[in-house]
Amino acid sequence: MAESSLKQSFDTFRAAEDIDASALLAGAVGVVFLLTALTSFVLRLGLEVPAIVGFVVVLGYGWYAHQGLTAKAVTFLMTVSTVLILGMITVFLVLESLHAFRLMGVNMLVGMDEPVTVFGVTVLPGLGNFWQPSSATYSLVPAMWGTFVTTLIATAVAAPLGVACALFLAEIAPNWAREIVKPGIEILAGIPSIVYGFIGFTVLNTYVFQNFQTPSQGSFFLVGGVIGVMALPTVVSVAEDSLDTVPDSMKDGALALGSTDWQTMTSITLPAAFSGVSAAVLLGVGRAIGETMAATVILGNTVGLPQPLYDVFGNNVTLTTLIASQYGDAGETQLSALFAAGVVLFVTVLFLSLTSLRIEAKLKQELSGD
Amino acid sequence: MSDAYDRNLVESESSTYQRLAASIVGVGILAFAFALAALFDLTAIDATFVGLSLSNLLGVGTTLVGLGVVGLGAVSYVGYVETTPDRSAGLVPAVLFGLLWFCVAGLVVSQTFGFGALVWLPAALLVGAGAAGVAIFPREDIGSTLPAGAFALLVGLVFLTNVIGPDWAWSPTDFSATFTPKIVVPFLTVLAVLVASWAAGKAYDDFGARGRQTGAYMLIALNALGILSVLVILVAFVVSKGIGPLFEGFSVGASGIDWPFVQNGNQLTNDVNGVFPAIVGTFWLVVGSVIMAVPLAVGAAVFLTEYAEEGRFTQVVELATNGLWSTPSIVFGLFGYAFLVPRLGNSTSLLSGIFVLGFMLIPLVLITSREAINAVPDEYRDASAALGVSQWQTIKSVVVPAAMPGVITGVILGVGRIAGETAPILLVMSGSPFPSKRQAPNVLDISFSFTSSFPFVDASLISQEALLNSASALPYQLYAIITAGVGQSEAFGWGTTLVLLLVVLSFYAVGIASRAYFRNKLRS
Amino acid sequence: MSETTSKAQTQADAQTGQQSGGTTVEGETQEELREEWVQYEFDGQPAISTRDVNVHYGDDHALHDISIDIPKNSVTALIGPSGCGKSTFLRCLNRMNDRIKAADVSGEVEFNGKNIYDKGTNLVELRKRIGQVFQSPNPFPKSIRKNISYGPRKHGDIDVSLLSRLLGRDDSDEEDELVERCLRQAALWDEVKDRLDDNALGLSGGQQQRLCIARALATDPEVLLMDEPASALDPIATSRIEDLISDLAEDYTVVIVTHSMQQAARISDQTAVFLTGGYLVEYDDTDKIFENPESQRVEDYITGKFG
Repeated sequence: MAESSLKQSFDTFRAAEDIDASALLAGAVGVVFLLTALTSFVLRLGLEVPAIVGFVVVLGYGWYAHQGLTAKAVTFLMTVSTVLILGMITVFLVLESLHAFRLMGVNMLVGMDEPVTVFGVTVLPGLGNFWQPSSATYSLVPAMWGTFVTTLIATAVAAPLGVACALFLAEIAPNWAREIVKPGIEILAGIPSIVYGFIGFTVLNTYVFQNFQTPSQGSFFLVGGVIGVMALPTVVSVAEDSLDTVPDSMKDGALALGSTDWQTMTSITLPAAFSGVSAAVLLGVGRAIGETMAATVILGNTVGLPQPLYDVFGNNVTLTTLIASQYGDAGETQLSALFAAGVVLFVTVLFLSLTSLRIEAKLKQELSGD
Repeated sequence: MSDAYDRNLVESESSTYQRLAASIVGVGILAFAFALAALFDLTAIDATFVGLSLSNLLGVGTTLVGLGVVGLGAVSYVGYVETTPDRSAGLVPAVLFGLLWFCVAGLVVSQTFGFGALVWLPAALLVGAGAAGVAIFPREDIGSTLPAGAFALLVGLVFLTNVIGPDWAWSPTDFSATFTPKIVVPFLTVLAVLVASWAAGKAYDDFGARGRQTGAYMLIALNALGILSVLVILVAFVVSKGIGPLFEGFSVGASGIDWPFVQNGNQLTNDVNGVFPAIVGTFWLVVGSVIMAVPLAVGAAVFLTEYAEEGRFTQVVELATNGLWSTPSIVFGLFGYAFLVPRLGNSTSLLSGIFVLGFMLIPLVLITSREAINAVPDEYRDASAALGVSQWQTIKSVVVPAAMPGVITGVILGVGRIAGETAPILLVMSGSPFPSKRQAPNVLDISFSFTSSFPFVDASLISQEALLNSASALPYQLYAIITAGVGQSEAFGWGTTLVLLLVVLSFYAVGIASRAYFRNKLRS
Repeated sequence: MSETTSKAQTQADAQTGQQSGGTTVEGETQEELREEWVQYEFDGQPAISTRDVNVHYGDDHALHDISIDIPKNSVTALIGPSGCGKSTFLRCLNRMNDRIKAADVSGEVEFNGKNIYDKGTNLVELRKRIGQVFQSPNPFPKSIRKNISYGPRKHGDIDVSLLSRLLGRDDSDEEDELVERCLRQAALWDEVKDRLDDNALGLSGGQQQRLCIARALATDPEVLLMDEPASALDPIATSRIEDLISDLAEDYTVVIVTHSMQQAARISDQTAVFLTGGYLVEYDDTDKIFENPESQRVEDYITGKFG
């Protein structure tokens, strides 16, 4: 699909301009050089430097002889490169993880340490272990569960508080309050994850250890809370934007009927912006799932399931912390298993992001009156 | 009719009833403050004030609040004051009250009296349904105050009678945690105060539509205040902890400024170890990724807004940018680790770090640049095109300059974001956890000389060696301190945190301020 | 404006010693403002009377000392060129200008014997009794039925919430009745009676605007403010709305802003003419205004000499 649309776009691109032969030739040579450089880099052929030099020379000629056309072509190549980067990330993640997936099969995603029986019938043989490099056993179940639990807690924090704060900024706050809170939220978004991690590691872990008397330092509960605070700004900004897209005329209509501001918000503005607000929550969930450093340094990162499963004070591992805590001394197969974790993460977050994109597009369409 | 009507149209000044409701919220705020103080270790839960332990004192506070709220409802119900309650408190409060009382009853019956699920579950269901019923069937003034006030009252009495006192503790069997009074007492106080204040807020504006608005606004404003205080506390805490180590050994003398924390690396011979290599690393990372990503992203934004027709291709690009935007940083790290590291000298290197962070910067800059270019009014383009200027000339001399402020703001905010990234550089760039000053990357290597062999000049601007070697960066330095176990180097860690925070937040502050400035300028 | 007229006006001013209410008025405009031109005598109590209403948007003085009485159960048209402040004035009457942060309103607007700009005014009650229909139709993205019953539901007059329906004490019958009555009043019933639960955004522009009128009628207002309600509609839809407005005047006080003089002449009982800069120049019976206005500028405006 991407290819055909690329071609289609390239065709329109070519048709639009009056291209003479010299420009066409130069363009072709330039593209050949660029492709050579790229292929050489990917396949490690060692031809990058001459190819890039060649490209720069062609570029120089183009700039001198056909500036407008060259600019258009170069910006087009730049656009293509963003697609290419995402494509390469996808391809390399999958390639690197194939080995582990081949080895473990579906157990990579569902394998349990003990056999799973339903009414006495074993539906899933146990692996004996979730994660043991020495016996090449890798199951992502504990990490996925950890990600699920922490994300759930984080969403419980970020979604209601974030939406409430977005309402405050978009509809309720007087000007002076908005001018304080809004930059505050943006700055909160800027605090690096490792700073949360450091505070979590040195202060909060100790606090929870002492006051909840947990068996060890670190727990899903704390990680979920911290990640929730980190996802909060995303929810607030995106939800506020979508509340802003509800036309004022609609709100005026409700107010002129004598409904209070709060009634207008709950019965007109929020329902109208519902899809945008849920997209905001989805993006917040995506951020929470992908959060790495704070979780890595707070958690103990032992691969296993909490007992019982819903023990939110469990001190186990999530997908991101699994990667960050094990990549350093991982052998080839283990590394491939970590890439499998990366694939699961990537696919989940990509799915969330694309869903929210579609929802937002739908919101705009709805409010434009169809 | 006309009487009620005029009263409704213009309200009298604030009444005793309103003052009562306000003072209940006031007492609640006081209890709230004490509860937070206990939670933040500013005072102990068994400390005594005016002869009462703090938990008893909080008990007095919540009891008063509870009684007050029940009283507000009763006064309105018997018609002592004129209010405008609805027929019922509504479904949402009913469900929430039902849940609240379900939990209360369930916990009390199962944990305090030790009954099994056969007893506690029906009991909790019954009480929960009862609370929901109270919210649904009576008029709104009773329905929203009674379940709230009763909860506060119950909490207060539990604290007053020391059922939950300073020596209480609860270890539920299913959770690997013990709930101590230091956590539970403040938590219950805060919960009771919030619920009761909401009810008092409703009463303040006579229930009904306007009462609900006041109650809701109170909670929402408190929420915004809470989020803001998280930021303030966080920054203030880091500053208070980090300012000491940051300025240790700082002096201004005849030979210039001596600032060991910023100017030193890590060495046994140092009096004060510093983060110089990490600062230099972060600097080159930022510069490198900006050089790599910004032209690419701005160029793509120009193509998408100025040249491309809306269609499949732009959709694919949009999907790709959004995908890149939301891709977790650790996934970028993995990609760099598998793809870039083997191709760039086969070891972790500054250049790999620059590439990976550049990849992360592209969508951030692309999205904001696209918005900025889109915001340039079409009249500019039309005016320029009407003068016979070519499209590229128009873009170069009209569109891009007009969009520049927005683009720059986007770049600054994006840089703020990547400057604090740890996960990717951990995988692709990191080397020595505590680098000495000599290990700081020395990227600029300007030399020029003639040689006898082809190509007869030996010029260099950038040191390949520095680019292809591992380097530290502020966030990685912080991570290294944590993995080393903090211990001795905690002060060093706080100093590093402060420097990192200052670097990142100054990018954000400048970005936000410049955006506000350009928006205002655009508006006037 | 010709020089001779200007001179004549100056002389007239000097003879009567009349001065306009505005102190910041200058030159020609000042000569054109006479208090007797805006004094309008009628029988009975006014529905709304304003005293010295001034509106500033920042440094911009948008309305100057507007003082008029609006009679009950009639149609009052506010006309004038665009930017003359007639819409701003309309929004003062139900305090919708409160929504515009930069707008600063001073003066008094008396409604039912109370100044609605007094502290403690219940805006909910006020706007319930002074309804408004906007320039472009703004139905809620909900069903036609829910659009009509929105106001009464929010004021607690009709309860069709999920809870009441669960308890079997909902007012669905009353809702149906109300929806039918209001849609009939707005002459929309026959067109939409089979699709009351369809989204209102699917209606045509003219239907949407009539829906908005029906929606405003549902709260049983005393006064209906209309801000160029037909400006976004085609001629057929416009004539339907005009017929509707004439009918409404039997039960309601209608204040309508319009830029179309023909429309004002067709439907209104009295007309207030605003001219550029935010001045009320003349206010009288519609016939008088259109046939024999006092002010030269009003005559020029009406005959199309200047806009």
